[in-house]
Amino acid sequence: MKALFAVALGVLTAIGGFVDIGDLVTSSVVGSRFGLTLTWVVIVGVIGICLFAQMSGRVAAVSGRATFEIIRERLGARMALANLSASFLINLLTLAAEVGGIALAMQLASSISPDLWFPVAAFAVWLVVWRVKFSILENVTGMLGLALVVFAVALFALHPDWMSLGSQVLLQPSPHTDESSATYWYYAIALFGAAMTPYEVFFFSSGAIEEKWKPKDLTQSRINVLVGFPLGGLLTLSIAACAAVVLLPKGIAVQSLFETALPVAQALGKIGLIVAILGFVAATFGAALEVTLSSGYTLAQFFGWPWGKFRKPASASRFHVVMIVSLLAALGILFTGVDPVQVTEFSVVFSAIALPLTYLPILIVANDPKYMGDKANGKVTNFFGLIYLGVILVASVAAIPLMIVTGAGA
Amino acid sequence: MNDRRALPAPPPVAGRVLDAGLDLLDRQILDPDGVPVSTVDDLELTTPDDPAHLDPEHPPVISALLTGPILLTRVFGGRLPDSRFIRIPWKVVTDPGVVLSVGVHADSLDASWTERWMRDHVIARIPGGRHDPE
Repeated sequence: MKALFAVALGVLTAIGGFVDIGDLVTSSVVGSRFGLTLTWVVIVGVIGICLFAQMSGRVAAVSGRATFEIIRERLGARMALANLSASFLINLLTLAAEVGGIALAMQLASSISPDLWFPVAAFAVWLVVWRVKFSILENVTGMLGLALVVFAVALFALHPDWMSLGSQVLLQPSPHTDESSATYWYYAIALFGAAMTPYEVFFFSSGAIEEKWKPKDLTQSRINVLVGFPLGGLLTLSIAACAAVVLLPKGIAVQSLFETALPVAQALGKIGLIVAILGFVAATFGAALEVTLSSGYTLAQFFGWPWGKFRKPASASRFHVVMIVSLLAALGILFTGVDPVQVTEFSVVFSAIALPLTYLPILIVANDPKYMGDKANGKVTNFFGLIYLGVILVASVAAIPLMIVTGAGA
Repeated sequence: MNDRRALPAPPPVAGRVLDAGLDLLDRQILDPDGVPVSTVDDLELTTPDDPAHLDPEHPPVISALLTGPILLTRVFGGRLPDSRFIRIPWKVVTDPGVVLSVGVHADSLDASWTERWMRDHVIARIPGGRHDPE
């Protein structure tokens, strides 16, 4: 049991960061439109986030510095301020989407309009951030989020034609759909952006400091990364596969969480649906916590304020004020009547644009012996780090043009 | 600016050489208990008597770390009135490492007045604000 909880930070970061509302919807949209043809993007994304989350966790454990402090030290005030503005805005959009996601999941369970759930969800998120210890927060949401494994179970219960699913993975581009290649690449970037969202590293590295990781915990950090993120990737893929098996042949378009849950309901009935909804609530709630904390972390680390849940709220007052204001702003966004699902899809693509400014400083500092002593990056890590930086750069440059060309994937 | 040949070699000094831009600016400042005070937003140097001809024997020295609204003028340009400067005197700095350690408590410095203001006027008034999370 102890070993299970030891990977909780990785599992929560992955469940909240990977399988958040944006991903729940994006992967079932992708599954219902492209089948499993974009599987390779999820794999590339999982390897990338493992690489950089592990690097940021190692920097945090060895030097005690969280990611946004490093961003400011290495990029200077001007570039770091640009990154902060972009990251904070994306965080805010994501937070609105996640709070909306909790409300949508609660609507599935209760049939009460999401408008009524928004304030309840935001208040619940604040209450947890305000009063609950970090270790409890990550264990409970991480473990409840595992309910999403029901999608993998459902996939087996659907008795799909495994050969045809396999051929969708390998045959590029897919013969099964008539989507244009621009749309294909737009969703590739959306999936990649969803896998590598910067708030995951902000949260993971700050969480490592909240948990007071030291150099001797590096193995634990590595296991966290290697269990958590691939698990998130597997859940993503099983959601996409369920959609590919049930929704794609019937031409059902995914417009809300309801269609995402449909394959589970078909395969496992009411019990499956209940478990899936529990998983939705846990994943979106975990993501909302993660994003709320990240908005506090980024701002406090940029300005050098005291931060962290290991302090009393009174000893990290500006950190807590930022989180309260962010939640209120997210509520404001939701009450304009925007569709939370659409908000996430935008925030995922925008985060692809901000990626290089976050990942370059991590790579630089992970090589700096002043911070890292003898725990600096090895040649292999640097080789893959540089390759990924190239991929990230291409994705960030291509994101906006593809968004315009495809009309945001319409 | 990048033409290093135009600069004369610095005189040899005993001890560590710090690059003000790289090792001081934008670094975190911690108090003796490890509580973050602020970030080094800018540096204040002593003004030499004759700015046109610097005396190599008496170069300008850092008199204070600056923080607060000075960051905006550093990024966007412009001048800040002297009354808005928030200074942490250089003499309280005990160790310029990866982070700058200062020898006085965060609560005794002007640099963290916003932290205290938010604590006293907002956070401490919300139930549970002064307790450890459970």
